[in-house]
Amino acid sequence: MRQPLLARFPMEGSVSGHHRSPHRGSSVEFAEYRNYVPGDDIRRLDWRVFARTDRYYLKEFEAETNLRCYVVLDCSGSMGFAGEHGSRFDYAKRLAATLSYLIINQGDAAGLLHVTEKTTPEIPPRRNASHLQVILDALGQAQPTGGTHLVPMLHELAEKARRRALVVILSDCFCDGDELRDALQHLRFQKHDLALFHLLDPHELDFEFDRPVRFVDMEGSHSVVTEPATVRAEYQAQLKRFLSKLRDDCHEFNADYRRVTMDQSYDEVLADFLTERARHATRA
Amino acid sequence: MTFLQPLILWGLPLVLLPVIIHLINRMRHRPRQWAAMQFLLAATRSSTSHAKLRNLLIMLMRILAVLTLLLFLARPLVGGWMGWALAAAPDVILLLVDRSASMDSRVAGAEESRREYALRMLADAAEEFEHASHLVLIDSATRQASEIPGASSLLKWPDTRPTDTAADLPAMLQTALDWLIENEAGTAELWIASDLQASNWHPDDSRWGTIITAFDSLPQKVRVRLLATTQESPGNASISVAQLSRQQVSGGGEVRLAADLKRSQADAGTATITRTLNGVATELEVSVTGQSIRWRDRFSVGAQAGGWGKLELPVDGNPRDNITYYRYSDDHSPAALVVTGSALAPLWQAAASVAGHLRRTPATRHEPADVTPADLRNATLVVWQAPLPEGEMALAMRRFTDEGGRIIFFPPGQAAAARFAGLGWGEKQTGGDVGFVVGRWDEDQGPLANTDEGLLLPLAKLGVRQRQQVVGQAAVLAAFDDGQSLLVRQALGKGEVYFCATLPLRDWSEMGDGLVVVPMLQRLLAAGSRRLQRDSVAECGQIGAGDLQLDWTSVETGQRGDVQTQAGVYQAGEQWLVVNRPASEDEFERVEDSAVASLFGTLSFQLFQARRDDTALQGEIWRLFLFLMLLALLVEAWLIRPGPMADTAPLKPQPAVA
Repeated sequence: MRQPLLARFPMEGSVSGHHRSPHRGSSVEFAEYRNYVPGDDIRRLDWRVFARTDRYYLKEFEAETNLRCYVVLDCSGSMGFAGEHGSRFDYAKRLAATLSYLIINQGDAAGLLHVTEKTTPEIPPRRNASHLQVILDALGQAQPTGGTHLVPMLHELAEKARRRALVVILSDCFCDGDELRDALQHLRFQKHDLALFHLLDPHELDFEFDRPVRFVDMEGSHSVVTEPATVRAEYQAQLKRFLSKLRDDCHEFNADYRRVTMDQSYDEVLADFLTERARHATRA
Repeated sequence: MTFLQPLILWGLPLVLLPVIIHLINRMRHRPRQWAAMQFLLAATRSSTSHAKLRNLLIMLMRILAVLTLLLFLARPLVGGWMGWALAAAPDVILLLVDRSASMDSRVAGAEESRREYALRMLADAAEEFEHASHLVLIDSATRQASEIPGASSLLKWPDTRPTDTAADLPAMLQTALDWLIENEAGTAELWIASDLQASNWHPDDSRWGTIITAFDSLPQKVRVRLLATTQESPGNASISVAQLSRQQVSGGGEVRLAADLKRSQADAGTATITRTLNGVATELEVSVTGQSIRWRDRFSVGAQAGGWGKLELPVDGNPRDNITYYRYSDDHSPAALVVTGSALAPLWQAAASVAGHLRRTPATRHEPADVTPADLRNATLVVWQAPLPEGEMALAMRRFTDEGGRIIFFPPGQAAAARFAGLGWGEKQTGGDVGFVVGRWDEDQGPLANTDEGLLLPLAKLGVRQRQQVVGQAAVLAAFDDGQSLLVRQALGKGEVYFCATLPLRDWSEMGDGLVVVPMLQRLLAAGSRRLQRDSVAECGQIGAGDLQLDWTSVETGQRGDVQTQAGVYQAGEQWLVVNRPASEDEFERVEDSAVASLFGTLSFQLFQARRDDTALQGEIWRLFLFLMLLALLVEAWLIRPGPMADTAPLKPQPAVA
């Protein structure tokens, strides 16, 4: 079954497409009746309604446009965490590549932003098929390194992307929760459709170690030698608070929050993602 | 605490095993790249103090488990007085047993005496050590160290039987010290059993410091454990003959006797005294009030020149102090010799006169230059107010005291370098308008003791204007407020030498009124009369070497008797010997626990106060350590149990919202 990636909110595209537009158009999808006002094209009058009610109404239809999608890939050092199910960064890259392929293949525009500590290389959204190769090449060269720069980059994107777009974020979100909340709110304020893939390793959730471990920070110089059993409960409590808050924030801003663990298969994750969006688009 | 398997204690360093394993474990930590560092740092910060405390407790429990396991395997012995001092069995255990007369008092509510109780407890305790340690007995009566073959033999050993002697704890400790030095013993413990009677312990004796210092300087470790049998006693009374004389009266001979009756209770009532005279017993009812009374009795003995008897109280808390023996005879009357060239001669002669049947016989007087050793032949007291004797006269007077005579020196008025018995005269001192005030004197015994009625001699009111300093070391019987001595005593052989610092002259003091000087000289006269008696009177444990060589037979039982330890009246040929327990054994005063502990100074010391319900001094307590080990393991298991799991359900991937 081929499932398109649909936006959950009206998009502002440049060409006709599969996604709802905030403007009225000439699609087959009926939108609404409205009273005639002088200046309206009289060809759009619904004469049948006039015959029944003796009043002038215009029949309007939904406009459909194409989708502009920004795939935001967090390239901080913590994304390089690798458990027994593989590297988080590899997982994120595969998701990014697959989503880009799907978007371009369905005629929409896909772009890519690598979020690194120092620079944020950007590949703007394009619709042509050759653009996919550009994205794939960029993904192939991306490496996880340095600290997290996700929040400033999201603010920057919110200001820069003036037209409504789908923003897909692939990150472990190991940054300040309040700052991330502000950034997501900023994006939603600009009426972008948000999808956050929160990528976590089962080790990070379970924190199961049987002997003392020296934990070395992947984004800094911290290291902690500890008996995991003694801090496990507190660690899990802290993590749980963070995840709950992030989930609640996303719910508040109507963002599509998806917690993904590395032991989940890609197709399952993407199938759920696409199906859920299609269902939402149908309801809308 | 002692151990049946002390070698296992070498494994005590194993208690460090949990610490070493913990340190090794920490050193073996694995490095791990970690992304979710912000949560780990926060968790570490918030749980550090709690985790450290828990880790510390876990470590402690593991150490405790190992320690208690080792102690359990070492089979510890503990019990009341054995205390908690960790020690292996010593090489030698010196058992110092107080078998003085007071130790035979009964413990309230028990059939056995303190001595029997102490022996039983000591034997039980020593039984565990008899294979590993030498057991050496030092008893208070003989003060001889003798090795005993086993703990059980302690109860039947001849030197643990009851005696009428007093104990001398410092002397017993000295014997123990000598034995340790002579035998070059290894680690040693002194197990002392005593009722802490103050007269036996001599807490103020200067020997304590010397002995404890000597113990401290021994190369081996010496530990002292004291079993104090100070349990409550039922009511007790004791009796002892204080004075005895045979007087010639118109109807024949009459014995005048004074006995001290001491009781542990002060209630008024009557006491039954059985007086035995030459085997014939007579019961007498005596009214008593207070704890201590002097009872006087006189009875006719007709033409009998000599005889023996005893006074006996009914059975009470201590059967050992219920009997006192006496013997009377008309051997010799006391006589005093006054040596002076001063005008005081008549006063001395009158004060030291001897009461006869019809009149008093004044003392004999000699000028210092005329007196000869032959003049001492029939004397019992010498009153000397002249420069100290020298040469042959001094030697004769020395022999006089060795035989039991008394000498009292009064100031000659001028200082001299001469000494007698280590004492001499210093400078003469004048007290000014106020004079010298007598501050303290021995009211219990000696020539200045209270009267039979308990009245004080008027020494406090005695005005002293001049005195002559007494030079030399001696026991002070009376002293002035400024610490200078008024009357000192030096024991020599069986007799005693006294130095009095003032004279009964108006320029010197008010002693001339006779209220002090007369009783003082009369008491010395009576005490010195033993010199001329064929009968020996002695205290148990204080028998002279000459008397001990004779073959004494008890006149009461007709059998040979041990005069050194058993009171009684003994006869060897024509010689008689009356042996009574020392008067100090009738005193109830005990040394306080804290005072006893301080006597042993820096030595390792443990005191066990025996209680009536104590049945054993020690026992194996491995069960306790087994229980402690299990308890430690249980606590450790509880501490290392997995912490409360966070609710992981929300951490699982959730379906999308909105």
